[in-house]
Amino acid sequence: MELAWYALLGLFFATYLVLGGYDYGVGLLLARGTDPARRRAALTALGPFFLGNEVWLVAAVGILFGAFPTLEGELLSGFYPAVVGALVGVILVTAGVQLRSRPTAEATRARWDRVVVAGSALAALGWGALLGGLLQGVPRHADGHVAGVTHLATPFAAAAALAMLALVAVHGATFLTLRLPAADAAVVGRLARRLVPVALAAVAAATVLGLLSERVRAAAARPLFAVLLPLSLVAALLVARAALRRGRPGVAFAATGVALALPVALVGATLWPSVLVSTVDPAASLGVTDAAASGPTLRLLGWLALPLLPALLGFQAMCWWVFRGRTDGRAPVYW
Amino acid sequence: MDTLLLARLQFATTTSIHFLFVVVTLGLVTLLVGLQTAWFLTGNPAWERLTRFWGQLYVINYVLGIATGIVMEFQFGLNWSGLSRYVGNVFGAPLAIETLVAFFLESTFLGMWIFGWHRLRRGVHLALLWGVALTAYASAFWIMVANSWLQNPVGYELRDGIAHLTDFTALLTNPTLGMAFGHVVAAALLTGGVLMAAVSAWHLIRRTPDFALFRTSLRIGLVTAAVAVTLVQGFGFAQFGPVGQAQPTKFGGGPEADALVAEWTARFGPGDYSPPVLSSVGLGFMILIGFTLGCVWLLLPLLWRDWVIRLRFPLWLILFALPLPFVAVILGWIAREVGRQPWVAYGLLPTEQAVSGVDAGLMLASLIGFSLLLGALAVTNWTLLARHAARGAADPALGRPPGAHDDARPEPAFA
Ligand code: HDD
Ligand code: HEM
Ligand code: HEM
Repeated sequence: MELAWYALLGLFFATYLVLGGYDYGVGLLLARGTDPARRRAALTALGPFFLGNEVWLVAAVGILFGAFPTLEGELLSGFYPAVVGALVGVILVTAGVQLRSRPTAEATRARWDRVVVAGSALAALGWGALLGGLLQGVPRHADGHVAGVTHLATPFAAAAALAMLALVAVHGATFLTLRLPAADAAVVGRLARRLVPVALAAVAAATVLGLLSERVRAAAARPLFAVLLPLSLVAALLVARAALRRGRPGVAFAATGVALALPVALVGATLWPSVLVSTVDPAASLGVTDAAASGPTLRLLGWLALPLLPALLGFQAMCWWVFRGRTDGRAPVYW
Repeated sequence: MDTLLLARLQFATTTSIHFLFVVVTLGLVTLLVGLQTAWFLTGNPAWERLTRFWGQLYVINYVLGIATGIVMEFQFGLNWSGLSRYVGNVFGAPLAIETLVAFFLESTFLGMWIFGWHRLRRGVHLALLWGVALTAYASAFWIMVANSWLQNPVGYELRDGIAHLTDFTALLTNPTLGMAFGHVVAAALLTGGVLMAAVSAWHLIRRTPDFALFRTSLRIGLVTAAVAVTLVQGFGFAQFGPVGQAQPTKFGGGPEADALVAEWTARFGPGDYSPPVLSSVGLGFMILIGFTLGCVWLLLPLLWRDWVIRLRFPLWLILFALPLPFVAVILGWIAREVGRQPWVAYGLLPTEQAVSGVDAGLMLASLIGFSLLLGALAVTNWTLLARHAARGAADPALGRPPGAHDDARPEPAFA
């Protein structure tokens, strides 16, 4: 029962990183170029999906609260700076994307676009630092609370944050390659290909720092998965690059999507059966079962989620289906 | 400054700001459903223009409201980790249900509604708006279930100091829930009605073009506000009974309150168990506002032959009434939330046990940061709403026919 909920939590958070990831990736790419029409076109490509992407985060936190109340308290307050950073980023993106097109002056719009860029960067960095922070464990004491926040300030967490930033940027570029009108897509496709080596370097740096970090080595209960993580990221990025070269943006987008989803699954698998590994007192590590809500709550939520999940997925799929394909002159413009 | 006080201040500020968005969302979406349904049934383009104009204001408010809502959701974990630890088994369930049942679908539907104009069949497009409205109400309901449980914990048993769920239906039949939900929904409808009437009144005062359109929305707004204010009053007074019974210490002392305080003193040790006076100060003002807004009934006869417009001073009255519902909702929430102090979950979990062990400096930083951020959002929201309301219904960006947009590919006209 707990495992099923843990998997569901992972599924929602991973889907958020994949879907929200291209929002932030497109947001980051707004920094490039000053051509207002091109920026507007990028946001139009995002258009109908934007609101539906973020809800995966809201739902993930809902599941976290309902099914893993103990974890939600310790996780969010234990990684305070990373979570607040990501949260501020999410807010800036949400507000910025909505606001940028309300004024008509181009200069004002450019200012809001900078807000979106900053927000996208913050969100990516925050979630990256959170995942990295999970891998290196937290100072959770016998009283069950995580003490302090300085444990997050390590080279590895910083490298993980930067790797996430790079991955998100590539993902945003492959999304635009898939969505923009064919002529614009070629330009973005070249950009995406140039971003892949950057992402590879960031992943490599995080890997080296992780291998050097004693805390990471100690926290990994199943090192196999930890090793698999950088390897599969590299593989996904190489596939994306090859697909872009062959003019297969769909495959490239799927590959960068996998690159964003995998870290969640592999971090969970590496730490299993714990979620929060304690660096100060092995007995104080928080296991998945201990973090879960009690039986009646999980059963109640289970009965609810069972019929609901197909409906949630169905309506999201309807949204993707209705607005599939490349944008063209007839695409509705709102953001 | 201690962490507890800062965390409480942060919660109070952020929820209050969030709620200012929520009332507008909930009120306007109800009116929008009516407008678009009328358009669907009659095919009259006047209804479409009304839907687009008010829809644009609604969407601006909604999307900025999301940003404030996300802060709310994270705040429980960030600042109130004791809440999830001690009562998360029970309190978490309705919140989880709400995110899955309501928010998830609400935003998905709304995205399709905004971008589905001219693209989806009209029936599907209308169904999406109905979906948005129903999920918005569902969201308000489940949030109120969660909040009512904090007001009056039911359906649980304590094992090792931790609350476990025993009876979910007790949460749904909580005596502090029913009337409060009705009151909140009616308050939102009242706010939506007053907003619609006030914006229309402004246009009619300024004699902008589109007289017919704003005349219609003035009438809709006034009638909605009149019906809603009566519901607000009814549900409001109906709350005193169940709430006073569940929380004897809330509306001043009495023998029951003394007995409860004696019991708490025996169980939790001596302490100050009466809520801060702040809670009851606001209550009176809210009721006063409730009766003031009740005077909207006096304006209804003036709808006959448009006297309300011809006389002009009623339009000014409507315009000046705009801040009142917003002030009232904040006062009402202060009465409800501060009135349950010093408990997070009434009689079960003291507030000081619920707060996270975060350093006071960090908490202060996040208090200042989030207050500034959300405050800026609220101000931006109001400026934008005012500007777009003033721009009139000539050509809102929402639902603009494709190809007609001004700026996607600017033509070099003077090249
Ligand atoms: C437009 C806004 C508005 C107006 C005009 C009123 N209220 Fe209200 N009131 C609210 C908006 C509101 C609210 C914000 O929606 C609250 C906060 C919590 C709740 O359930 O509703 C509330 C709370 C609230 C409470 C506290 C419940 C508790 O502590 O649990 C009481 C007793 C009343 N109201 C009673 C009234 C009466 C008798 C009114 C006037 C005749 C009135 N309200 C007008
Ligand atoms: C949206 C409308 C709401 C407003 C305006 C509001 C307002 C407030 C205020 C003013 C406080 C601070 C009380 C104090 O100073 O001691 C507070 C505290 C709190 N409220 Fe609410 N509240 C709202 C809804 C909710 C809901 C729906 C929930 C639960 C689901 C909730 C949970 C809490 C919690 C956990 C605290 C912190 C503990 C405390 O200080 O009492 N609130 N809220
Ligand atoms: C009585 C109090 C509340 C009501 C009626 C309410 C209702 C709503 C509504 C209608 C929305 C849609 C957006 C908007 O309003 O602009 C919304 C957004 C949101 N609210 Fe609240 N809310 C309340 C308090 C809270 C609290 C206490 C939380 C924290 C758990 C919360 C979490 C959220 C979240 C996460 C969103 C964004 C959802 C999205 O992405 O679509 N709300 N709320």
